[in-house]
Amino acid sequence: MVKRFIEKCYLAMIFILLYAPIVTLIVLSFNRSKSRAKWGGFTFQWYVEMVKNEQIIRALSTTLLVAVVSAVVATLIGTAAAIGMNAMPKKKRTLMMAGTNIPMMNADIVTGISLMLLFIRLSDVVPFFRLGLATVIFAHITFNIPYVILSVLPKLKQTNRSMYEAALDLGATPLAAFFKVVLPDIMPGVVTGFLLAFTMSLDDFIITHFTKGAGVDTLSTKIYSEVRKGIKPEIYALSALMFTTVLLLLFLINKRGEEKKERRIPSAAALRVKRAVYAVGFLLLLLVIWIGYPGKDEEKQEQIVVYNWGEYMDPDVITQFEKETGIKVVYEEFETNEIMYPKVKSGAVAYDLVCPSDYMIQRMIGEDMLAKINFDNIPNYKNIGKSYIDGAKSFDPKNEYSVPYIWGTVGILYNKKMVKEPVDSWDILWDPKYKDQILMQDSVRDSFAVALKKLGYSLNSTDMDELEEAKNLLLRQKPNVQAYVIDQVRDKMIGNEAALGVIYSGEAIYVQKENPDIDYVVPKEGSNLWLDCWVIPKNCKNKEGAEKFLNFLCRPEIGVMNFDYITYSTPNEASRKLLPEEIQKNPIAFPGDDIISRCETFRYLGEEADAYYNKLWRSIKSK
Amino acid sequence: MNKKWLSYPYGLWMAAFIILPLLMIVYYGFTTKDGSFTFSNLTQIAYPDHLKALGLSLLLAVVSTVICLVLSYPLAMILNKKSMNQASFIVLIFILPMWMNFLLRTLAWQNLLENNGVINGVLSFFHLPQIHIINTPAAIVLGMIYNFLPFMVLPIYNSLIKIDPEIIHAAYDLGATPVIAFFRIILPLSMPGVVSGITMVFVPAMTTFVISDLLGGSKVLLIGNVIEQEFKQGYNWHVGSGMSLVLMAFILISMAFTVKYDDTEGTGLW
Repeated sequence: MVKRFIEKCYLAMIFILLYAPIVTLIVLSFNRSKSRAKWGGFTFQWYVEMVKNEQIIRALSTTLLVAVVSAVVATLIGTAAAIGMNAMPKKKRTLMMAGTNIPMMNADIVTGISLMLLFIRLSDVVPFFRLGLATVIFAHITFNIPYVILSVLPKLKQTNRSMYEAALDLGATPLAAFFKVVLPDIMPGVVTGFLLAFTMSLDDFIITHFTKGAGVDTLSTKIYSEVRKGIKPEIYALSALMFTTVLLLLFLINKRGEEKKERRIPSAAALRVKRAVYAVGFLLLLLVIWIGYPGKDEEKQEQIVVYNWGEYMDPDVITQFEKETGIKVVYEEFETNEIMYPKVKSGAVAYDLVCPSDYMIQRMIGEDMLAKINFDNIPNYKNIGKSYIDGAKSFDPKNEYSVPYIWGTVGILYNKKMVKEPVDSWDILWDPKYKDQILMQDSVRDSFAVALKKLGYSLNSTDMDELEEAKNLLLRQKPNVQAYVIDQVRDKMIGNEAALGVIYSGEAIYVQKENPDIDYVVPKEGSNLWLDCWVIPKNCKNKEGAEKFLNFLCRPEIGVMNFDYITYSTPNEASRKLLPEEIQKNPIAFPGDDIISRCETFRYLGEEADAYYNKLWRSIKSK
Repeated sequence: MNKKWLSYPYGLWMAAFIILPLLMIVYYGFTTKDGSFTFSNLTQIAYPDHLKALGLSLLLAVVSTVICLVLSYPLAMILNKKSMNQASFIVLIFILPMWMNFLLRTLAWQNLLENNGVINGVLSFFHLPQIHIINTPAAIVLGMIYNFLPFMVLPIYNSLIKIDPEIIHAAYDLGATPVIAFFRIILPLSMPGVVSGITMVFVPAMTTFVISDLLGGSKVLLIGNVIEQEFKQGYNWHVGSGMSLVLMAFILISMAFTVKYDDTEGTGLW
């Protein structure tokens, strides 16, 4: 008795471990607040908005499409391979088995990277292999086949060869004998293999991450790009819905299973239920895929590929542009300049419009990666304030390559309830009082800028001694740092998880709206003044379309739409005039000259200095 | 009849998408940007920062594999005692979480573990001491155990159900105590399942970069993170490939001892 009780407790404990996060996610899907860290009341709102959110539906149908196609193809190839291997002499079979085990044994990261390298090389010869949806499907088939083989092979071992031979003796053709005798025997293995492949494909992130192209997103990659800036609640709603659907189907099938046990022979009714459940599941799947892919014609439509910072444009702006011009916008997001750069440089995807920061633009101009913009196509350029255009000269001396989009400062966000003293200096980030209470930026230049400025140096320093000093300072700070994050500073500050955080000015306004205890300051030692601009890469496919979109973005009312959505400062003077008075005067959104005069803009420091920065940064991170 | 030809399509596929890509990595790993031959990409692993990341990855992977094993074995034994139907349902319960996206599941642990998170909320309600493990290696280990536990339970369970109960009865009849029967009969017979479970947990735990990112607050650098950054941020594919080769060799060596139990017929996952 006691033993059974202990066993029950043990099972219960494991299930709590397995399902605690899932319950959490389901609860979050009913959370009115957009922030993961705060409970804002109960709502069904996200379920409604999920259905309307085209990007999410699209990601869902891509995920299912990839999973279905890769699982079906893998099941066909894998089952055939298993049958063939079963007929092979032992030595050859062992060899095949070794090959099959490679993707199982290999790290996902290696499999993903090796396939990416292959596809990029192949695409020079066969354009079909340009990173995109097809490459993801090929990669998924590759890692799915072993699962099928490993499920089918054991079943083949159990089949009785004499049965097959008996069928042949009785006059069946080999084909008929296979379908009537062998296949029914191994069917359970084939089905398990298929389901396994489907599940693995559904849940894969790493391999997709490396083999996907622009504009192709599965749920996994979509979620990963949103992790940094906070997951959209619609995703929770969608996951909760998917989960309950599967749970329901499983219960139905399982109920049928119990019935079967009682009668031993499945009744016709039970079979019907089983078939109905499968059919409903399959139809649901096809329906979702069909909704996400309205038709092939769309592919031929004129399009531009835009690569922007995460959460850096109101989605309605894109919809309106598409409606007005009929040009489709393929929109992709990045988290840091350093992540954006290799993607554009490698040319694996041809972007038409990219939005890097100051120093990165300087680098890209220097490496001859950018095309000159034809400003005749952008009459609305006149709305951009003169001071910003002059400011852009520091990295684009003749203003030929860039159109300013968003600007701001870097400063300290702090919680007035947790920090009682006045905050006006970077020094506070080294105060041992705030051990484990500080959020730093997970980006080389931004973190070094803080340390260099505190030391009174330029944030563009390349002096080895100064950098060494900055590195030691950052190392000394590490016990105070709770985490190195990018846009997660936002959620964590709202949830009172940390007392202080280094952040871009634009996030401060959003955080203040959600949590009024938070304030923002640009420290007196000075900080970074940054300017993100639109540029057009040389290998773009649709320059005119890109310029049309740029002109559209420079419209005053579009600038206002974007400001309302992302709360970052706009260099568009005409837009600024349309904003409410108190925002025009808000020192966070539009800091005065006293603040700007003590700030400095990043410059590109050259490959060697860059590598040196990276090396120092890694030694800080790995400490 | 000869059915060998049925496996030829797969043979082709394997050559194109498994073997060829590996050769690409080897090529990149042994060359520099201008195409000349070098060992320097491989020897970079000896940098103190990289060695440290490798060592930490190894430590965390071993710890989480051991904990997974210790948790899974009794669980698989309990499942084995259940009737077939009940057990298969419980097995499904293990697979089911995989239908909720892996990243979301891991992210949810942030909510649970954070200093003002759900678990601490519950603890403070009962006036118990708080836990502070978010952004530490402990949180990463927890994340690994959570994500990879099913990959340990299922192979062990599969090898346990294959054991003929008559053999165990025979052991008892011959006077074995339950402890002896376990160590002399059950454990050795379930070894193939244990080994494939260890592989299926150790390899992803050793190479992950996502779990350390999400639960380690980017303060903990694992070898997977180093490689990912070389490819996605540092833009040095040659160094990244070199590191991947080292990692691959490392895993092969770590797994070498399992060859003894490697039954090519596959006591796979399910």
